[in-house]
Amino acid sequence: MMSPSHDSASAGEIKEIDGLVQEFARLGYVADIALATAIYLGTHLHKPILIEGHAGLGKTEVAKVLAEALGTRLIRLQCYEGLDISSAVYEWNYQKQLLAIKLQEKSERTIAEKEKQIFSREFLLQRPLLLSIMEENAPPVLLIDEIDRADEAFEAFLLELLSDFQITVPELGTIGAKHTPHVILTSNRSRELSDALKRRCLYHWIDYPSFEKEMKIVRARLPGVEEALSRQVVRLVQAVRRLDLAKPPGVSETLDCVQAAMALGKNRLDLETVEQTLGCLVKTMEDGAALKASGIESLLSQSN
Amino acid sequence: MTAARDNPDQLGAGIVAFCRFAHSHGLSNGMQQTLTALQAANAVGVADWHRFSLALRAALCSSQEDWERFDGLFAVFWTAEQSQPDSRNHQSPLRCVTNLESSASRLLIHADGGNASPAEHEAKLVAGASPHRRLRKVDFSEAPPTDLAALEQLSLRLLRRMSIRLSRRTKIEARSDYVDLRRSIRRSIAQGGDPIKLAWKGRRREKKRLVIFLDISGSMNLYSLFLLRFAYVLQKHFQRVHTFLFSTGVVEVSDLLRTRKLSEALSGLSQRAPEWSGGTRIGGSLRELNQHAGRRVLTSSSFFIILSDGWDTGEPQLLAQELQRTRARVRKLLWLNPLLGLKDYQPITRGMRAALPYVDIFAPAHNLESLLALERYL
Repeated sequence: MMSPSHDSASAGEIKEIDGLVQEFARLGYVADIALATAIYLGTHLHKPILIEGHAGLGKTEVAKVLAEALGTRLIRLQCYEGLDISSAVYEWNYQKQLLAIKLQEKSERTIAEKEKQIFSREFLLQRPLLLSIMEENAPPVLLIDEIDRADEAFEAFLLELLSDFQITVPELGTIGAKHTPHVILTSNRSRELSDALKRRCLYHWIDYPSFEKEMKIVRARLPGVEEALSRQVVRLVQAVRRLDLAKPPGVSETLDCVQAAMALGKNRLDLETVEQTLGCLVKTMEDGAALKASGIESLLSQSN
Repeated sequence: MTAARDNPDQLGAGIVAFCRFAHSHGLSNGMQQTLTALQAANAVGVADWHRFSLALRAALCSSQEDWERFDGLFAVFWTAEQSQPDSRNHQSPLRCVTNLESSASRLLIHADGGNASPAEHEAKLVAGASPHRRLRKVDFSEAPPTDLAALEQLSLRLLRRMSIRLSRRTKIEARSDYVDLRRSIRRSIAQGGDPIKLAWKGRRREKKRLVIFLDISGSMNLYSLFLLRFAYVLQKHFQRVHTFLFSTGVVEVSDLLRTRKLSEALSGLSQRAPEWSGGTRIGGSLRELNQHAGRRVLTSSSFFIILSDGWDTGEPQLLAQELQRTRARVRKLLWLNPLLGLKDYQPITRGMRAALPYVDIFAPAHNLESLLALERYL
């Protein structure tokens, strides 16, 4: 969660889609026109954006970079199974309330007055969704990460929130958003989201990048790296993706691999280096076996 | 269609028509998304045709499959030259060819629903009191080819509804297990903060996990394709479903079954399932599962479902032993046997007899009705 507001030319207004691509590039994220279009539409039409794709392809980063580009706060809600209102929206600070009750024991106030004081904002723990509504200065970016891990009931609640942008706390009344947040949802497609939620959102699918795009990403994120090493790693990873692995490597794995090679002091990949850094590319025992079975040597020779 | 670009009113109508066109060719967009598409076109403008298509794509798609189909549909609809009818845009007759095991047992089911002649259609409708009722009861192994398409559609629909009901059910169970702090505190204000009168809250939901262990050997031939659909539908609506196929070995296919289209799942399966020859080894396969995937999928909230007829060429003792190990780790073990649908079936094979002590629920799985009846067990 950050709130720097620096001198980006468009503080909160994204006028040109190209400008968006450039701004993202300046912040180290390689966005294509399609993604920039989706973001532009999302911010202008006030619609949430659902970004789907496999792991490690930069879905979460989009929200972070957007917040920086707009100069607003990023509020992140990490979804998981069993996520409920008390973790996502708000919870009362029970310990503080119990203490306050004890302290008030001898006071002259009526019970109704005491109750009102106990259930006031001072005792309210604001979780991400409520925080996003109560933001004072400018529309924040609300990132709802891995929504496919939450359950249908939570999705239904979220849908209501995305329509009205208001939360009702029984003791405090209804709190409406001063600035409608820019909402980005990400999903790893581990399950089908509800139709109602999908219809509500603009959609963007992030696929594995092409060779050129992945090279651009490596250059942007790891500026000091030798071009030849980057090319080799990217070609290798692209070849590994063509094998039928259970968890194909994403872009973060490519970056890990490059950094690992550099940490080992190598400026070219050889068989030994790849075997040492296998954990960067594959994440399960079966995938490691499959990779070895298809011959690391032959994959490497393809990437030279 | 290029004329539409220059005329704003025509463009709006064109966009609406395109949305309808896309919907009829497989995209799942609705009215809300048509409105979004119009707003998007307005925001982006049509000066740049590529950007215009990107804007529509963001508005109308809601999945990877939509995304990949979109460009083709856009090109077909909006270009002036009439391209040849794109074969991708027509719904091909549902055709599932699955080559799951050794040459001794190949299974081919063709369900050409679209090619039935009008006379056949009528014949289907007239026969039987209600075609649905008949389809629910027909044994999978005896279903005539003309029924297959209808049976498939009905199965998918009803099983889907069942899955949705199951995935929601946990909310309704209300047992008081959990102290409701908020209400307790309120009640305690009068007593100076001592929580004397506690308030209770419903039990925290526990997510069920399903593990499906499906026998695809020769003797299960005629049933396994339908049981695969059973697994496919469950897989889509539960997050925690794992599906394993076995005959002489085990292969996990959970990820394959998570695609949007059944036909894609089936073609993926035919590529992944290895050539298994020889008789079924239930015990051996179960051991493999216990060893390699047990820690991951067999948990105390799991329901383990074996779909098999119990014909086993392995040692019954091995089967009993492995089943005992599995049973010890899961909440409930269900054995679904298509043969139970036969009158007078008695589980007299050694394998089945050895297994029964460890089975909580022994139920038939020979027709749609029996599969739907499982709802009360899960």
